[in-house]
Amino acid sequence: MIEARRPSPLNMGDPEPFVRGEQHEYFRRLRQEAPVSWNEGMAFENGLSFPGFWNITKYADVLAISRDPATFISSHGITMGTNPENAGPAAGLGKMMIVTDPPRHVRLRRLVNKGFTPRAVAAMEGHIREITAGIIDDVASRNSCDFVVDVAAQLPLAVICEMMGVPKEDWTLMFELTNKVLGGGDEEYQAEGANVDQTITDGHMQMFGYFMRMLAERKAERRDDLLSVLVDSDIDGDKLTDEEILYFSYLLILAGNETTRNAISGGLLALFEHPEQRQRLQADPSLMPLAVEEILRWTSPVTHMARAATRDVELRGQQIAKGDQVIMWYPSANRDEEIFPDGDRFRVDRSPNEHLAFGIGEHFCLGAGFARLEIRVMFEELLRRLPDIQQAGPVERLKSTFIGGYKHLPVRFTPERVPALA
Amino acid sequence: MALKAIVDFDLCEGHMRCQSAAPEVFEVRDDDKSYVLLDPIPGDLRDKVERAVRLCPRQAISIEDVT
Repeated sequence: MIEARRPSPLNMGDPEPFVRGEQHEYFRRLRQEAPVSWNEGMAFENGLSFPGFWNITKYADVLAISRDPATFISSHGITMGTNPENAGPAAGLGKMMIVTDPPRHVRLRRLVNKGFTPRAVAAMEGHIREITAGIIDDVASRNSCDFVVDVAAQLPLAVICEMMGVPKEDWTLMFELTNKVLGGGDEEYQAEGANVDQTITDGHMQMFGYFMRMLAERKAERRDDLLSVLVDSDIDGDKLTDEEILYFSYLLILAGNETTRNAISGGLLALFEHPEQRQRLQADPSLMPLAVEEILRWTSPVTHMARAATRDVELRGQQIAKGDQVIMWYPSANRDEEIFPDGDRFRVDRSPNEHLAFGIGEHFCLGAGFARLEIRVMFEELLRRLPDIQQAGPVERLKSTFIGGYKHLPVRFTPERVPALA
Repeated sequence: MALKAIVDFDLCEGHMRCQSAAPEVFEVRDDDKSYVLLDPIPGDLRDKVERAVRLCPRQAISIEDVT
């Protein structure tokens, strides 16, 4: 007998609440009324569509699903609506680490994870601070800028591009292509007349074309970068195919570029919106590591990750059927009242703060150490050199249910009188 | 009751949450892997070890009772 699915009281497939910054109200209601509920599919005029899925809004459930990659697999897609039967190449199903299941998954991850360990990250701090100083140098003699584009985006972009071996003259291209692939649902990033799918596909193909050329160069001559590591990598004696190397590069550039930018931008916005917390942090910079975790919890830059059930399974009385897609909503888990009783307060001194912004388990964010370091160094340098930075116009959020994105954040500040000495 | 902890080296990436939660039991070494220092682990360290299991971002630690 098929039991009726508890319908979701709200449609979480619609990006509009996210654009308006209202998503947290929606999630609160879901946690209270229907923590596990079935969201009907829908189709939008702009070409975006998805079949139905389960809304997973509670911390404990996101944790349980994340810890069971055998029951809840990633290879059918990790974004809402990805259907393995008709997924386009941009989804990389079965070819890209993030959409690969155990046991192959950890073998792919181990090819590169030495470059992402806490020790590897710590060794980069000096260089990351140099890059950050240069980014602030570029705006410090002005009195205003678009914080997202001119500052927040530039640091993760530089770090991942350097690690991959992308030369500086191509960083802006990587930024633009990332916006097409991950922000293709937002009209600002669509070319005239292009819909979502066309935008994403265009970004994907251009990025692949770019890395194909770079791959040929690295095969001829290795350099000290991740792309060269991938060229020489093998799993149990089998070398990665060109296609696997391209998908790996694509994943690292996208993931390394987009999410940290949003944590930094959202973090500054949170400080603007909570002046007493900002004052506390500026008065006591030793709070910065705790503030970084709170920024991550508060912004939850990855808004959702999807899994597909490999068997029928019950969750809070709801019958999830084999093949159903479940959507883990990280901003909701990160404000779950059962874990964070005052979770709707932004507190720079919050401790403990066992948030799930990086996920947990098999697919725990590979770049978490870099993200944490970049956010910390950026805010240390920013608040030290431009301490009176203020919001100077409305924030513009990305139209997406996948990425908690910020497109623009106008800011103003007193210019530095002299550039910082290196 | 005493217990045993086993770290899956395929999953372990040296994040050091275990070391922070239970420094008497876990030590991350230069190979970025966490080594279990006590076998068996005395029962009075159980709470700390369970915390380490929970906090490991890779969920790389498993524990079993020692009778």
